Order: sequence, then C-alpha cells, then structure tokens
Amino acid sequence: MGDSQYSFSLTTFSPSGKLVQIEHALTAVGSGQTSLGIKAANGVVIATEKKLPSILVDETSVQKIQLLTPNIGVVYSGMGPDFRVLVRKSRKQAEQYHRLYKEPIPVTQLVREIAAVMQEFTQSGGVRPFGVSLLVAGFDDKGPQLYQVDPSGSYFSWKASAMGKNVSNAKTFLEKRYTDDMELDDAVHTSILTLKEGFEGQISSKNIEIGIIGTDKKFRVLTPAEIDDYLAEVE
Amino acid sequence: MSQVAVEAPPKGGFSFDLCRRNGMLSKKGVPPPSYRKTGTTIVGLIFQDGVILGADTRATEGPIVCDKNCEKIHYMAPNIYCCGAGTAADTEAVTDMVSSQLQLHRYHTGRESRVVTALTLLKSHLFKYQGHVQAALVLGGVDVNGPHLHTIYPHGSTDTLPFATMGSGSLAAMSVFESKYREGLTKEEGIKLVCEAICSGIFNDLGSGSNVDVCVITKGQKEYLRNHQSPNPRTYVSSKGFSFPKKTEVLLTRITPLKEMVEVIEGGDTMEE
Amino acid sequence: MPQIFEYNGSALIAMVGKNCFAIASDRRLGVQLQTIATDFQRIYKVHDRLFLGLSGLATDAQTLYQRLVFRHKLYQLREERDMKPETFASLVSAILYEKRFGPYFCQPVIAGLGDEDKPFICTMDSIGAKELAKDFVVAGTASESLYGACESMFRPDMEPEDLFETVSQALLSSVDRDCLSGWGGHVYVVTPTEVKERILKGRMD
Repeated sequence: MGDSQYSFSLTTFSPSGKLVQIEHALTAVGSGQTSLGIKAANGVVIATEKKLPSILVDETSVQKIQLLTPNIGVVYSGMGPDFRVLVRKSRKQAEQYHRLYKEPIPVTQLVREIAAVMQEFTQSGGVRPFGVSLLVAGFDDKGPQLYQVDPSGSYFSWKASAMGKNVSNAKTFLEKRYTDDMELDDAVHTSILTLKEGFEGQISSKNIEIGIIGTDKKFRVLTPAEIDDYLAEVE
Repeated sequence: MSQVAVEAPPKGGFSFDLCRRNGMLSKKGVPPPSYRKTGTTIVGLIFQDGVILGADTRATEGPIVCDKNCEKIHYMAPNIYCCGAGTAADTEAVTDMVSSQLQLHRYHTGRESRVVTALTLLKSHLFKYQGHVQAALVLGGVDVNGPHLHTIYPHGSTDTLPFATMGSGSLAAMSVFESKYREGLTKEEGIKLVCEAICSGIFNDLGSGSNVDVCVITKGQKEYLRNHQSPNPRTYVSSKGFSFPKKTEVLLTRITPLKEMVEVIEGGDTMEE
Repeated sequence: MPQIFEYNGSALIAMVGKNCFAIASDRRLGVQLQTIATDFQRIYKVHDRLFLGLSGLATDAQTLYQRLVFRHKLYQLREERDMKPETFASLVSAILYEKRFGPYFCQPVIAGLGDEDKPFICTMDSIGAKELAKDFVVAGTASESLYGACESMFRPDMEPEDLFETVSQALLSSVDRDCLSGWGGHVYVVTPTEVKERILKGRMD
C-alpha cells in the first residue's frame, strides 16, 4: 500500500496532497447507512435507514435523528458513537450561544461550529477524524436550511443531498425528483421513495427514521405511526 | 509579547481582572457601588393539583425604585419555574445558567426535568460561591414525583415546604400563609391566597411593590399570569400632557440619513473541499 | 472620597417615541468638583440604528466601549448582519456579569431600533442586571432627578420632534439640579430614515 507509509500520522500529507486518514473517514461514511435530506419551500426533511445488526435489538431504543436545538435537527451516516460526541458538543455550543445572546443560534452559525470541531480533529495530535458525515436541517430567520458537514470539516448548503451506502443512486434519484416549489409533504414522500430505491428488504416504520421541520420552527422526529401514514400514501 | 489581549467569547466563569484595582479603591475609602436588588416578596405554595408561585414586580437600587414592573418569576424548564430575590443580576444569571444545564440534561435523557435536579444544581452553585452570589430563591415545579416546592438560601441551604416565602417581604407574606394555608386548596383558592400574600408584601414591605405576578404549574401544564393583579395603577397622569412654550436652544444639528438596507444575493458560492 | 460613580459625573437618558427613540447625555467630564472637559462624548454609535450610552467612571466606560465594539464587529463579520438591540443588550449584560466580583464602574444605557422599526431601550446596573422599560430609562449621577422629570413629562407615542423637546427639557432641568453633570446636552433622535444629532446649550456652571 503506497498510502500507508503516510498513515503513521493523521496530520501528514501524502505526496499527492491527500490526508489519507480523511479519505478513510470518508470511506467509513460511504459504507454507512444511507441518509438523505430535502429542503422544501416551507420546511426541511431529513431521513435515514435504521438497519439493526440483529432482530433481537430493541428498535425503539435507537434514535438516529437527534435534536440540536428546538429548531435544528441532525442525522448522520457513518459511525454512531462519533455522532453522539458531535451531538453533545453541538448542543453545548448552541446552548452557550443562547446564554450569551438570548437568541436561538442561527443554523449557519451552528453548522460552522460543528465543522470547526470536525476540522480540529483533522489537525490535532493524538486524535482521529470523525467517521461521520452530518445532515443538519433547520429553520430560522433565513428560512429553511439544509447543510451537509463532512469529516474534513467542509460544509455545504444543499437543496437536497444524500450520503452513505447508496449516495450515487440516491443523489441521481433526488436530482430527478427535486423541484424548487416542493412542499414539505411532497418532500417527505420523495425522501421515502429515495430511501426505497436502494433499500434491501421491506421498508417499514421500524427500519427508517424521518425528521421534519416546518414553518412552526419546531423540529420533530416522526413517530412510527406517522411514518406508516406516509408509507401508505406513497404506496 | 507574552500576553496578547485578544479575547474570544468567554467560555463562562467569572473574571477577576478588576478585583485588585477595585480592592485598592475600597481600601482608599471609596465604597463599592450598590447593585440593583429585588427587595421583593416571593412566595410559593402547593395546592391540590400542583404548585403556585407568586412575586411582586418592584426592583430597587438603594431607596430608588428603578423598575416598577420587572419579572421575578424565571423560567427553569417547561415544568419548573423559580422566583428570585436578592441581587437582580445574580438571580437572573443563576436561573439562566441552571435552566441551560437542565435543557442539555433533557436532550441527553429525553425526559422531563425533575425539580430536585434543578434544586441540586442551584444549591451546589450557590454553595460554591459561599453566599457571594446573592440569590434567594423559591423553586417550584411538577415532575414525575408530583408537585415540589423548595426555598434556596444564598449560601446554598435548602428547605422543602408545602408553602414558602422569601425576600424582604417574606414575613408579611408568611403571616398570611400561616393563618390561611391548608392542605388541598383548589386552584382558585390557591391563586387567591398567593395574591393575598404578595399584596401583604406589596403594602407592608417597602422593598416590594407594584403588581402581582402568578405562575400556576400543574401536571403537564403551566399558566404564567403576568400582572395578574395591578393594585397600584398610576393615578397622577396629566391628561393634557406637557408642552414647552420656550424651546430648548440648539447649538448644532447634524442629520445623517440612514441607508435603506440592500440585500445582496450572490450566486452559488461553495467552499473549497 | 464619595461613591466611585460620582467621580466623573454623568447624566444619561433614553426615551421611546412612535417608531423612534431618543438617547441623550450631558457633556461634562469632571474629576470630582473640577470640570475637565465640556464636550465629552458619552453616547456611542454601535451601528446605524443602535446606540450605547455609558455613565459612571469614564476610564471604565471607554474600556468597556472598546470591548463592546470589538465584540460587535466580530459578530458582524461572523454572522454578516448587525446585532439586534435585544441581542446587544444581552451581550453587554453577559460581559458585565462576567466581572461580577470586580465590576466595571459603569451603568450602560442601550437604545436601538429593532425589527419592523420597533424601538428598544434598556439599562442595567454595573453587573448586568437588565431593566427593560417600555417608556424611558435613565442613568448617571443625575438619575434621581431624571426619574422625576421623565416620570412627569413622558407621553406615549411621541413624534420625533416632540420626543426631542421632551428629552431635552427633562435632561436640562435634571442636570441643573446635579452639580456633577451639565454643560449642555447631546441628543440623538433616531427614526427609521435618519439620525438627528443635536447639541444643546445649557448652563455653564
């Protein structure tokens, strides 16, 4: 392996100008479960597969979509434990901002803070990069927003995006289906259809998770019953 | 240069930079300044379905009333509120800080906050500062274990009581509670008793005044009744208003027109990966 | 030596009108009973629609002002927008409370136009206890007489010119009863379209 001689340290570039550990982190993301997000005209939806290693795992105990603030939610592809660390740090950051300015943190600011943490872990000693990509969905004064943050610490604003195992298929699907004037409900339908595309086995309210935020600026994760309703509408 | 004073937003905690100078000044005979206090009557009681908190709305700085309608019932969590007496900045800061910690705790646990959690966070902070954070609190809320009411003293000691009063008007308010409180009050009776206690503070204690704020917390519900009673309306407003026949003498006028806000929308700029 | 707040002397006032506000101060800088300057700036512009007045010890006021401007500029760069008055007030409060046990000897007055041209005024004590008022706020050595003057002269929903006259009269009559502040006044009236800054003639004793 040509790269591996530069793998002894995360913070050493290979001659081709790559940080191989970051590439590996992206591979970890790429082999993770598929997640996607769509920004609609009046809100944002994020969705993910929730495939469990065994049928013996209690699926109600796993929450892949998390709240960062009342108006910002996040989902990941990649390593679950790394995600938890980022969620904890981001919530703290959001809370600190709130205590300083008595104002909810804007989505861009929070995303930048998360990205800063992820970048720090590509340049510090004794650590490794995060093995996750995040999709951050929020609604603030600037309207609905969807961001993707990668292990390198780079971030982009998207109209619709996907990550994980089925990225390319999902993205192609989204490119075909996306319209600018999409309503939130349509976006939920599209997100289910996109997940369905590359889904192994039968899709159900137990093996996917959906989070939405609308004009009420309250992010919430849909209950299995609500997902069932949407699934029925898509059929 | 070993120390460049580039300050980042504070990570929390106090800064003691000016203590030496201020200490030197007070040693030379300059008294330290007085802070805004809430002289205050604050009360709370447990009724049949939950907790009722009450507060007056006067803030004072020495003998001056500096706010006639301030808010002394602070939000802690959706099911917990807290009345504050003492130095206004301290009660505000300590309740804000703990409500922030409770919010994070709720995110982690995914459950409703408990009143004892708030109590422990508050008392450990106050104890740590040995009474220098001057906050006297009445903490009330309803959680999985039912209604709770606590008082917290500035040094960090706490009481758990069915009815409680704090602040300079606490004696006046307590006299009302002691004579009229009983177990199993209805909501209406409870609110009435709380108002009566606060009013006794408003009228008999000079540190308390203006209006009555009430907060009723029951299982899964809360009602914040801001200015529930206003027993001291202004009576001396001149209907004609003031006019000034002789205008003030202006030496210089400078007018700066304000630009309209122009929104610049740029096309897709992405970050280099 | 008496109270440290009385070392330099000051009078500050902010008042709300109809879709506008006024903020005014005296112009004297003294060292106890001796007058040092008669054109002292106590009111600072934070951005076009947000003003900050700092009463109390002048040295602390200037330091505090520099720190606040720094933090505001940092915010502007980071968030690409001006601070809302409410947000700025919270920032000032946080900065003051940070020095809870060794405070700046300053009492700030903040006035600004918020979203939809809604006026906002606020004052706090030297450790950041906010007082949000709907009508007027005062600070400085002349605050007691200012309270009295404003309490009787204030009317809700004044037009800019009315507001100017009321604020000026309240300020001038109050500083005449305070030997530590005076020497004219500095009045800003801010409407959604313009800032009108005027210098008032006052007693010179």
